[in-house]
Amino acid sequence: MSETYDFLFKFLVIGSAGTGKSCLLHQFIENKFKQDSNHTIGVEFGSRVVNVGGKTVKLQIWDTAGQERFRSVTRSYYRGAAGALLVYDITSRETYNALTNWLTDARTLASPNIVIILCGNKKDLDADREVTFLEASRFAQENELMFLETSALTGENVEEGFLKCARTILNKIDSGELDPERMGSGIQYGDASLRQLRQPRGSTAQNKQQCSC
Amino acid sequence: MPVRYSRGESDSTKDCWMKWQIMDDDWDRETVLARKVLAALSARIWIKWSAGEHAALHRQRSLPHRPPVIPLVARMADQNTSGTPAMTEREASRLDKFRQLLAGPNTDLDELRKLSWSGIPRQVRPITWKLLSGYLPANAERRESVLKRKRHEYFGFIQQYYDSRNDEHHQDTYRQIHIDIPRTNPLIPLFQQASVQEIFERILFIWAIRHPASGYVQGINDLVTPFFVVYVFEYIEEEVENFDVSSLQEEALRNIEADSFWCMSKLLDGIQDNYTFAQPGIQKKVKALEELVSRIDETVHRHMQHYEVEYLQFAFRWMNNLLMRELPLRCTIRLWDTYQAEPEGFSHFHLYVCAAFLVRWRKEILEEKDFQGLMLLLQNLPTMHWGNEEVSVLLAEAYRLKFAFADAPNHYKR
Repeated sequence: MSETYDFLFKFLVIGSAGTGKSCLLHQFIENKFKQDSNHTIGVEFGSRVVNVGGKTVKLQIWDTAGQERFRSVTRSYYRGAAGALLVYDITSRETYNALTNWLTDARTLASPNIVIILCGNKKDLDADREVTFLEASRFAQENELMFLETSALTGENVEEGFLKCARTILNKIDSGELDPERMGSGIQYGDASLRQLRQPRGSTAQNKQQCSC
Repeated sequence: MPVRYSRGESDSTKDCWMKWQIMDDDWDRETVLARKVLAALSARIWIKWSAGEHAALHRQRSLPHRPPVIPLVARMADQNTSGTPAMTEREASRLDKFRQLLAGPNTDLDELRKLSWSGIPRQVRPITWKLLSGYLPANAERRESVLKRKRHEYFGFIQQYYDSRNDEHHQDTYRQIHIDIPRTNPLIPLFQQASVQEIFERILFIWAIRHPASGYVQGINDLVTPFFVVYVFEYIEEEVENFDVSSLQEEALRNIEADSFWCMSKLLDGIQDNYTFAQPGIQKKVKALEELVSRIDETVHRHMQHYEVEYLQFAFRWMNNLLMRELPLRCTIRLWDTYQAEPEGFSHFHLYVCAAFLVRWRKEILEEKDFQGLMLLLQNLPTMHWGNEEVSVLLAEAYRLKFAFADAPNHYKR
């Protein structure tokens, strides 16, 4: 099965244990909540093709284990990631406090240009909230992150999280801020755009001329 | 748009049940197979593995998906419980052999290992596991007092340390265990019972603080499960999956807890470097797996290399959780019969089992023509129908590999 797509982006889902990383991924790909979620060992892989701003983008997503002991393994996946969902649990201040560490890891180990969206997950558990929207939103601003509160349970903002991240990367490619050709950019051209690239505009015109005669 | 997958299993539980009845375990099958493969080895004949009719993995699946655990007990039951249809003659005779061996005043552990390698009948599994793991002494007279002392010792630890779980320097450990336990075997009702979860928390917490070099690492929680299930079987006749532990006498439950703790500790003693900082044991074994596979099936190895699949990406979990995430629980229990019978079963033989397991999927692997397809296949191998038969074949092949490479490690080094 080979779908055509314009770009392939490598994504990471990172954050402390039990924040709902795997459930976010599952909700994004399956459109439903994973009731019987087991904790992730090492990394797990998922993928989905999305449409963003008229472009077809294949997201290759690495869902990482949250426990500290696995960092030596999960860190090796950071290299060459174009985007990341940095997840904390709005009902657990501890997972919020750990964000700085996760962020440092992501920025130093992945590309410095990595596009990160902060996701305050478990939005549905508002009664148990320990981190306010405002506080997290300030943190996001200070650290130049996009920010959303999500619920893997209801699906609220899950799709938006992934799409927003993908859209920002696309915009940066368009503006020249990101160079897909750079090693470790976490971006690859898909078949569709490769075809366009292989055929520069001049030659297209030539072909047309040939056809018309 | 989201790519959908279907789970690839079409057989109803009933179908499976029937199939399992038919291919009911021939306990000696592994031995026979092992002999066959050894013969084949000398002639350099490759044993062809049947890919299995249920190997059809839906190509479109795109999310890591662990197969739901199918009736743990359906398969446990086919291991000749008293309640199931008559045992085959061979099974009955095997059970007899075990009983004879266990009846003597001094159990011959070498004999017990030999006999156990091909699988242990359910009725004698609890005591056999305790003997093989070194928890119980071979001398029958001493067993009762050893059990009493060890159980007492364990509950002494609980009394002494368990209250410290909320102390500052232990709270990270406890918190991690506490969020992992409800996620352990989420599909088996037995493990959703509060008293069972409390038992797991105690076992893991005590083990973790007594082993500060590794502490609690996710995955270790899974390793308690087989012991717990097998030791529950010591006290009940019925299915374990939906069993309500509150119907057990309190003392029985305490015994199960202590015995599970000690046997799990014995297991972990042999593989602790899997869980210490940077997990060197796993790194080393994944490397060894890669080397081994490159020698035994270069086509598969090259295929994965070609699509830039790294062994660590799928085999990390195989090592960290001893294949427990890849196989149904009933298969793990059968696998552990052999691991406990095999010298360095968990720490060394497991590597050969992993190699045999990977090559088992060569057909499916070679059919995948991109990174994504390979990754999804390797992280979601369709084993949910597996029972003793498949595990036996796997073990026979692993044994063949070990025979060929273990005594000559340079063989598999390039």
